[in-house]
Amino acid sequence: MDNGPIIKLENVTKVYHQGKINVTAIDGFSVAVDKGDFTALCGPSGSGKTTILNIVGALDVPTAGRVTLEGNDLADLSRTALSTMRRDRIGFVFQAYNLIPVLTAYENAEFVLALQGMPERERRARVMEMLKEVGLEGLENRRPEELSGGQQQRVAIARAMVTQPAVILADEPTANLDSATAASLLSIMEHLNISHGITFLFSTHDQRVMDRARRIITLRDGKLAGDERKG
Amino acid sequence: MNGMKRHFSMAWRNIMRRRRRTLITAATVAGGLLISLTFTGTADWSYANMIDTSAKMGYGHVTVAPRDYFESPTINKRIHNCDAIRETVLRDGGVVDAVVRIFGQGMFATASKSVGGTMIGIDPAHDSAQRNVFISALKEGKLFTGADDPEVVIGMKLAEKLNLHIGKKLIYTSADINGEIFSGMARVGGIFRTGAETVDGGVILLPIDRLRHALHYGPQDATLIAAFIDDQRRAPEISSRLATRLRLKNAEILPWPQTQAELAGLISIDHASNVLYQFFVGLLVAAGILDTILMSVLERKHEFGVMLAVGMDPKKLFLLVLAESFYIGVLGLVIGGLIAVPWYWFMHQTGIDLASYIPEGYDAGGVPLETVLKMRLYWESLVVIMAGVFSLTLAAGLYPAWKASRIPPVESMRGI
Repeated sequence: MDNGPIIKLENVTKVYHQGKINVTAIDGFSVAVDKGDFTALCGPSGSGKTTILNIVGALDVPTAGRVTLEGNDLADLSRTALSTMRRDRIGFVFQAYNLIPVLTAYENAEFVLALQGMPERERRARVMEMLKEVGLEGLENRRPEELSGGQQQRVAIARAMVTQPAVILADEPTANLDSATAASLLSIMEHLNISHGITFLFSTHDQRVMDRARRIITLRDGKLAGDERKG
Repeated sequence: MNGMKRHFSMAWRNIMRRRRRTLITAATVAGGLLISLTFTGTADWSYANMIDTSAKMGYGHVTVAPRDYFESPTINKRIHNCDAIRETVLRDGGVVDAVVRIFGQGMFATASKSVGGTMIGIDPAHDSAQRNVFISALKEGKLFTGADDPEVVIGMKLAEKLNLHIGKKLIYTSADINGEIFSGMARVGGIFRTGAETVDGGVILLPIDRLRHALHYGPQDATLIAAFIDDQRRAPEISSRLATRLRLKNAEILPWPQTQAELAGLISIDHASNVLYQFFVGLLVAAGILDTILMSVLERKHEFGVMLAVGMDPKKLFLLVLAESFYIGVLGLVIGGLIAVPWYWFMHQTGIDLASYIPEGYDAGGVPLETVLKMRLYWESLVVIMAGVFSLTLAAGLYPAWKASRIPPVESMRGI
């Protein structure tokens, strides 16, 4: 496994303007995440975890500092290039699942592949395999409202994984799930991380996720408060 | 599923998520369509009706008249070889009929009173209720049969002014082409009532040959030939075709807007105000549609943020929302069409009687108005209206679509 940094944040600062008040969400944060890492970003609510994920995922821009993904400085990329990068190189798993309600489980998982323009036959094979891998075989035609929270999060993982991205960014992926479902999902993600070599970066304050992570980066008040590698 | 098909499928499912709202929005589109169809249909029917009535009052849809006759009408201006010209006019495919007429001014008197007015010489062999509003408006008596028939037909108001009844005598006086005064006596054979006070109070019909003789016209002379065509909108085209075919030196072939300039002006003004009114109604309808679509976009801000976050091109998101407007437009046209068909059928066949709202003797530019309001839609108008309403719906979706494509994807990361 190549252990070079796939994500690199250097002196990243993010200041939000709320009326006349400036709120510093991230304050001179630097970290490098290696390819194939299974990393948890921890910290209390408001510590800046989601902001970091937004910035790494090219959904938000830092006020200061430099962010690189696979060696590309995100500041140098156009809106379209960032969109393409999100589509092809990043997978997102959201706390609230964020599936598209009018699409079936199959169509949700297929959505990004269709955006990529992949031929239908290849798309179908890949989606069916991924849905099987996350344990959703037989539920392809159900809409999100017909699935449990855990099943919806599995669809979200399948959607993130199916494109075989370089990085998966997961924002509190187990926050709304019961223990058994959370454990099952973590096993799936761990398996995908090992078998496909995909880098995972979670934001969490769930101890179950922290226990499974191989690296824990702790944030406090937008600053790096700890960086622990296990094993 | 390919890209476009997926977009349209998603758009359809999106609008079906809130069926009631979609139906209300589509009903707004349908309402706009109905308003536009009704305004245009009733206006087109009224215009066609007024033009046809005006044509039947004397000049036809297309007129073969002496050069500059309408600038300064006088009995000295006349056309010759009327029968030959009429035959040529009738050979044109767009012309359904043509009649020869003489127009002149005169005084109409009884023993106690006299009134000035217009004498129209008509050929009872060719003129009919279909081509002559005075014949179709006959309320008493009948039309004379020929030059030997000593009868005239007069307007009801004129009859009232001169205290005339069927069978009573009337003296008409005018000047012939040599400037000599002539008089004739006739009995009232028929009384018409068009509803236009100026017309009913000052027009008499005489047999054309009698008037020809009195004016010292030649046997083939007349003031004009009034041609009637199948569709008044083709008048300019048929006029120029006839002009080429006839090649008359001292006569000209004029479409109705030139012979009935006052009516054409009134119609132009009414048409312009109708278009303006429809434009404002369209704006209101568009504002309603825009508001609903925008609301539905803002409600799904988070969802759109997710689509953008996972890499959807903002342009595709723009097209997705526009496809929703497309479906709303199509639904609106279908609903509007379902309501419009019976509505149009009723308005075309029966119409609404507005007699109680229109004052007695009311006319537009001397043309009596029909008191029953009906609808007539030309195919071109229907296509333009449907395309206009549909485009308006699409246009109303542009801003919400643009707004959706500009949603920052970071919105998606904020948990619900």
